[in-house]
Amino acid sequence: MSVRRFISILLKEYRHILREPRTLWMVFLSPAFVLVALSAIFTSGSSRIDLALWDQDRTPLSRQFAGTLSSDADFSIGHVSDYEEIEGLLVERRIDAAVIIPPGFADTVQRGDTASVQVILDGVDTLIAGQATGSLLGHAAHFGLALSRQLSLPSVPLQIHPRSAYLPNEAERDSMIPGLVPIVFSLPVIAAALALARERETGSLEALIATPVRGLEFLGGKLIAYVSAALGGLLPVWLVATVLFGIPLRGSPVLLVALAADFLLASVGMALFIGNLVRSQQAATVIALFVFFVPGFFLAGLIDPIDTTDLASTIFSYALPSTHFVTICRALFLKGATLTEIWQPALALLVLSAVWLGLGALTFRKRMH
Amino acid sequence: MRDILHRTWGLVVKEILLLSRDRLLLGFVLLGPLLELLLMGGLTGGGVQNLPLAVVDLDRTRFSRELVTRLDQTDELFVKTYADSVAQAREWMQSGQISVIVVVPPSYGEALTAPQQSAEVQVVADGSNHVVSTVAIATTEDVAAEIVQDLAARQAVASGGPVELRFVARFNEFLDDRPHAITAMLGLIVYQVTLIIASQSFTRERELGTLEQLRVTPLGRLELIAGKALPTLLIGLVDCLLMTGVIVVWFDIPVRGSMLLLLLMTIPFVLAQIGWGTLISLVSRTQQQALLFVFALAMLEVAMSGFMVPAGDMPGVMRVLSTVSSVQHYLVIVRGVMLRGAGVKSLWLSGLALGGIALTLSALAWLRLRLGLDTNSLRRRLQVLWRNYQDSRHERKARRGADKTGGRGGKKPKLTREPAYADVRVEIGD
Repeated sequence: MSVRRFISILLKEYRHILREPRTLWMVFLSPAFVLVALSAIFTSGSSRIDLALWDQDRTPLSRQFAGTLSSDADFSIGHVSDYEEIEGLLVERRIDAAVIIPPGFADTVQRGDTASVQVILDGVDTLIAGQATGSLLGHAAHFGLALSRQLSLPSVPLQIHPRSAYLPNEAERDSMIPGLVPIVFSLPVIAAALALARERETGSLEALIATPVRGLEFLGGKLIAYVSAALGGLLPVWLVATVLFGIPLRGSPVLLVALAADFLLASVGMALFIGNLVRSQQAATVIALFVFFVPGFFLAGLIDPIDTTDLASTIFSYALPSTHFVTICRALFLKGATLTEIWQPALALLVLSAVWLGLGALTFRKRMH
Repeated sequence: MRDILHRTWGLVVKEILLLSRDRLLLGFVLLGPLLELLLMGGLTGGGVQNLPLAVVDLDRTRFSRELVTRLDQTDELFVKTYADSVAQAREWMQSGQISVIVVVPPSYGEALTAPQQSAEVQVVADGSNHVVSTVAIATTEDVAAEIVQDLAARQAVASGGPVELRFVARFNEFLDDRPHAITAMLGLIVYQVTLIIASQSFTRERELGTLEQLRVTPLGRLELIAGKALPTLLIGLVDCLLMTGVIVVWFDIPVRGSMLLLLLMTIPFVLAQIGWGTLISLVSRTQQQALLFVFALAMLEVAMSGFMVPAGDMPGVMRVLSTVSSVQHYLVIVRGVMLRGAGVKSLWLSGLALGGIALTLSALAWLRLRLGLDTNSLRRRLQVLWRNYQDSRHERKARRGADKTGGRGGKKPKLTREPAYADVRVEIGD
């Protein structure tokens, strides 16, 4: 291992990145750009539920029940008058749920019996269906109680005061943005895999074989060049999060940079390992996207938390560097966590970077096939 | 016509041969989607389950215990631990050991049963994951509604009885999370495979220097695009079909609508990706750049696809932008056909949108190809046009000057005209 040769490889890689404005932009600025694009879709408000209401009873009481529903700002209510219409609206995704007040609703209630109100949910998006179920149940319970305590004040016997810790206004955006940070860094990481596959494909690796550069120096130069370039991209990302979206970094910036470097080492190590396996850039791209892109959304705990009850799911999720970095970014940005509180994911990243870098170094052969 | 078919076919065969030589790539293109779908479909889709809950019970009565038991019985929550104070529970949340805190106030039982009072339970959910906090809050609200319902039933007086809601979930009887997630994966996987293959087509040739050779063949522009597009289209359709098979057989999610409709709608979707890919491969100089463009585009499309946030809930600008996202329309179609059993009647608009996007992109790709394959040639052409324009202005000015001075004097402008276009042009036909 010679420092001079390592540095010359490093400089060569920097020149590759710097000489093409497009590559430079993509490696250095793209994380911030992608973060803006991904974050712009989240509003700071809560989502609305589109409801179709079919009042078959048409009595003051049924209208009163409908009134309690329409008083909820989360519902946007349209009136319908037959099943076919409801079915059509459901198939066309125009409504999330339909509420059908049966004929004789008022009579049944006034007789002292239980009136059944039918709710037809669109079951496809279960998160929305769950939200609709929760609010509708709440309204029905309160309505029933108000009736049963007709003369007394209809105070609610049980009130839930929900609060989201760390998120004062419950904005979905605020919780998503730190979680998206690992995904936006996939671009510079995949660029590293491609840089390696490219040398192989265009034959310049063959030229390097003839030089005294050793495998490790070559790999190390590539690694450090891409990790440091991507780490530079953390600054614009941090600016976007704090200045543009107003999410302050509550934790220590030094810790963020250190752990980001750790995350990038692990990811670029993984990318170099992929780059070693393949012969063409096309193959490297396909594999890298399979490994970094879709799993980044589904497995890294970004949306659904990791299902720790399932062993296979746990293993796969924890083998991805992004999983740990999602946890770290959320803890650092939103919770203001210190190293003692997030030592587990931090340690996991360290282990992963050692494993992936080791695999990358072991599989690298300084020769043609 | 026969010549055109013949030439295009030749290019298709060449592309397929090239693909079949790279075994690893071929395997990933054909089996990768299946593996990924199996893996991810098997691993995710459990939904939010067993969120760890800490209870701060300051009441310690039979009522508070009933509340805790009911919370524990839900699928979404499980009571992991009891805390003595909120501060202690907050510490556990800070280190990520628990996701939800339920604080039962002292005299909760009393307030619950007294007619004029109301018991107030505080729920603190870990907002650093929005899905977690939404689900946790909705679940506790469900439980509270149940308790109120029971209470109302117990207290029911002659004058009135409670209202009961009967829920029916259409399309997904047991509110299983998997169909929603798996259909999204199907769309995203077809998307990424076709877009990558299409985007590397011209760039690869350029980088390896074989583009020059293609340019001197009698292949026309449209033939060139068609020859590159057909294998990708084939791969997209085969992948879609294979993955649908896996979804039906392995995940037991039936296709309620017409499979033919789904495949037909997949064609414009893949064509749109080919359009994007061709455009990208025509403006990038290296495959690395092409990939980077692809990735930035894919991020935007995925963001707007309605997979993370329903398109209707997005802020205004993004909602408008999302209408040009082909993934968004495709997911609507996939979910419509597979889960809702929707037909042409309710999907024609999305299909039309896909067709429009595909057509526009293909037209752009054709135009870009018309300008020459070299990435520099666009700039060069514009420079030449600009110079020609200035030359002609000089000329006119000079002529006017010459007219005024009666044909004498007036320096003749120096005309440095280059040939308007020096590239080897690729023309259609003979």
